[in-house]
Amino acid sequence: MTATNDTPDLEALFDSIAATTSAAVEPSTKPSTKQVAASSIASTGDSDELQDLFDSFSTAVPEQDKLAADGLLPEGMAADSDAWPKQEVVFNQIGQMARSLHDTICGLGYDKLLEKTVSAIPDAKDRLAYVANLTEQAACKVLNATDVAVPVVDDLNSSTNILANRWDLLFENKLSVVEFKALAEETRRFLRQDMQQKTAILHAQLTEIMMAQDFQDLTGQVIKKIGVLAQELEGGLMKVLLQVVPETKRTEEVESLMNGPVINAEGRNDVVVNQEQVDDLLESLGF
Amino acid sequence: MAADPKMRFLVVDDFSTMRRIVRNLLKELGFTNVDEAEDGAIALQKLQAGGFEFVVTDWNMPNMDGLTLLQTIRSTPHLKHLPVLMITAEAKKENIIAAAQAGASGYIVKPFTAGTLSEKLTKIFEKMGKA
Repeated sequence: MTATNDTPDLEALFDSIAATTSAAVEPSTKPSTKQVAASSIASTGDSDELQDLFDSFSTAVPEQDKLAADGLLPEGMAADSDAWPKQEVVFNQIGQMARSLHDTICGLGYDKLLEKTVSAIPDAKDRLAYVANLTEQAACKVLNATDVAVPVVDDLNSSTNILANRWDLLFENKLSVVEFKALAEETRRFLRQDMQQKTAILHAQLTEIMMAQDFQDLTGQVIKKIGVLAQELEGGLMKVLLQVVPETKRTEEVESLMNGPVINAEGRNDVVVNQEQVDDLLESLGF
Repeated sequence: MAADPKMRFLVVDDFSTMRRIVRNLLKELGFTNVDEAEDGAIALQKLQAGGFEFVVTDWNMPNMDGLTLLQTIRSTPHLKHLPVLMITAEAKKENIIAAAQAGASGYIVKPFTAGTLSEKLTKIFEKMGKA
């Protein structure tokens, strides 16, 4: 199996199927099954390989069928005479489904699309982790900035309040000349020193908050790429599904109470879109 | 707000950012005695240890979600009187109904404003005062 280094997973899958198959038959037939496996995979290019896998799988099934009929199955399986035909039916069905899925995928050229999207998913995971990381960093930066800024604002607020109260006293003629001189001096110092220093601190923190928004550009680009990927994957899988799955009833939406934020509430009446609706609903229920 | 500013809050959310925001908003409203827990299980441990008078919790969290936490609080004799305010992104009507039926004291959907939090807290305190 040297020619198949590009799809190790497929190979492993095949090996496991081959192992099960050969375990189910007599030792004498084992080499032939393995040979089919080895030769088919060794002689193939990348997508023919899949084809051969299914071919070998489907030929293996009748072989088991025959063995079952001849009573050559190993104990356990042979002992449970009812179970084996059922399993065989299931195997056959799975084989046919896989075959049909495979044909559809190849026939429509989706094998390449799926290959592309599958290889893109690990990349998408990394990108999403990057988004989570950047947004978290931004949130922390902003919260840190407000942690610094809020006490400064509070301080300015209380200082101006104290000075303003004393100026009020002056205007009510309740201050002596000495007190007035002291107030004028303190006010000047406040304006020259405290105000200057503290607004500089606030300015720096506001700049920090502004700069923390730089994630939006980066995450926006990354998210757009993942959006395109998801769309391609969805489109491809949807077409394959429509081809393969016979007219089945639509699967019901999974009912869950943990769905996270509603991304798109348009056309839905099972969700609320704002706090007002929450309050109205609760009120209508008598809470 | 008429409530005691020393009232001890437990803020439960799996995201540290949201815990920090809620903590800051509570501080703005004059409540500085705030502890945090990152999921329902840790919250329950802290609550069992006693000393808390108010719980603000998210819904969707690992280990123990907010609804289970709420139900557990309501079925535990020495905790069942605790006001529990849910702040969550879960916005399905059945979520809100489930929370109300489980005995939530209030329900806020994310994203929310400082005004909403203040309003809901006031409402809960009013009800507590009457009770």
